[in-house]
Amino acid sequence: MRENEDVAVGGYTSDLEPGDVLGPVEYTLSPFVVREYCHAVELHNDVFQHTKGGMMPPTLIHLDKLRLYRHACPKGTGPHARIHYEYDATFHAPVPVGERLSVGGRVAERFVKRGRTHVVIDMELRAVSDNRLLISYRDTVLISYTGTEGKAA
Amino acid sequence: MTSPAVGSEIRSAPREMTRERMRWYVDAQPTVAHDDGRIHTQEPTIHDDDGYAKSQGLPGIIADGMISTNWIMGLLMETFGDDFIHKGRLRTKYIAPIYENQVVISCARVTAVEQAGDVTVYRLEVWCEDDTAKKLTVGEAVAYAKA
Repeated sequence: MRENEDVAVGGYTSDLEPGDVLGPVEYTLSPFVVREYCHAVELHNDVFQHTKGGMMPPTLIHLDKLRLYRHACPKGTGPHARIHYEYDATFHAPVPVGERLSVGGRVAERFVKRGRTHVVIDMELRAVSDNRLLISYRDTVLISYTGTEGKAA
Repeated sequence: MTSPAVGSEIRSAPREMTRERMRWYVDAQPTVAHDDGRIHTQEPTIHDDDGYAKSQGLPGIIADGMISTNWIMGLLMETFGDDFIHKGRLRTKYIAPIYENQVVISCARVTAVEQAGDVTVYRLEVWCEDDTAKKLTVGEAVAYAKA
């Protein structure tokens, strides 16, 4: 693990409330992580798979959310499976392999719609060296999904 | 890189959402987290364990939404090149579950093209559909292409 260990909101991810702050957590983007992730989702582009250089796929920030969860919510998911509902990312600058990164998030909303609890988290990925904003991300999950009707992923 | 006009539609080849494709993404999560060069696995999920998925009210395993998001991103990179991951936007919403062996086609349609200096800005509607044209994932993207 290449993360610092100084953050803990405590509890389950299903307990998160608006205003809760997740992180920041620092890590160094490794070529292994980029290649492994891209292999899993069949992104075989040279920019991800070659052995020197390489760039982070902006979709990888979604796993940074799990990184934040591990630090802020050490008890895990909670009683029901968590279902990802929406990915919304703006890519401000390329993120090269080897960059020291800082990721942080804040719970923006929690609401119930059609009987399902939605939790929205806003995240930012920044370069540690100069605090440049690299990717901003809004993630929406359902934390009380109980059936097959309608949305699910 | 291509320069699609407003109204152009770009479509990927069909892919089946096999059990293996779902599991690859499940295994990638702890493997990325450990970042030690070895493969890692995790507790059963709704994406790789039928029993657990059924316990959560599902008829069987369903794909993680980020797989379709990545397939859409791959389609946009085929169209706009690596520039797309240097600066851009992608939003995807998972409006229907993707079940085992369901066919998935990634699609994009150009809705606007704007010139900003030496950069062309493409606005797109993006989605994934199955082989009956049922939409599974919907969203939008913005791509910036230098002249």
